[in-house]
Amino acid sequence: MSLPIGAISSIQSTGATNPVSNPSVGKSLAPPQGKGGDFGSFMKGFIDEANTNVNTAETKVQDLIENKTDNIQDVVMSMAKADLSFRMILEMRNKLMDAYQEIMRMQV
Amino acid sequence: MAGGINFSALDISASGMMAERMRMEVVSSNIANAQSTRGSDGEPYRRQQVVFASAMQDLAGRPNLSSSVGGVQIVDVQGDQSAFPSVFNPGHPDADEKGMVIMPNVKLPNEMVDLISASRSYEANLRAVKSFRQMAEQTLSLLRGSN
Repeated sequence: MSLPIGAISSIQSTGATNPVSNPSVGKSLAPPQGKGGDFGSFMKGFIDEANTNVNTAETKVQDLIENKTDNIQDVVMSMAKADLSFRMILEMRNKLMDAYQEIMRMQV
Repeated sequence: MAGGINFSALDISASGMMAERMRMEVVSSNIANAQSTRGSDGEPYRRQQVVFASAMQDLAGRPNLSSSVGGVQIVDVQGDQSAFPSVFNPGHPDADEKGMVIMPNVKLPNEMVDLISASRSYEANLRAVKSFRQMAEQTLSLLRGSN
């Protein structure tokens, strides 16, 4: 079943991967305050968060290699978070590309 | 903060793993010093114990979403106040005139049990992390191939 570009809410509903249903799902889905909460800033929020996570993970791995810390749990956790955030924006990008191509296939 | 995955389950399990690792350090110290009759203050080594407390904030300092769940933090490493045993050992350098030596109050079987318990708790926390990651990946796979 194709994903109509108007149904942005369906992307929103799969955007949060919170496995436990709790009231925080609504909070983490709320568009970031700032540019009026349109879809562009919504995506930007996710991308920024993924970027932050990846940079944090890189810094922590660097510290571990340089022996500035011996807390491997911290390093592994930040790497897991970076991996999950990145995979999420990857999937969102794939979905958007599919939607775009579906639109382009439409007969004028 | 802007939208993103809610990682509090990961942070809670990470705090559990760090606490168990700290507990293992203390147990190792107890085991290694089970025969130390000279401590820093002239007394024999006193067995150390960790005190855990539940933390109502996550590791980044943000208050947790529901106030009844949170990670764990180590608030104290306290000495066990039980009495030092006296052992008859006249040849020991620290023996008094009656030949009795005051030994640390570390019982090796207790420490081994603590070690096993810490190790199993660590594995349980690790299992929780793996489950969380697996659930997140399965949720993401919904986006893949849903056509």
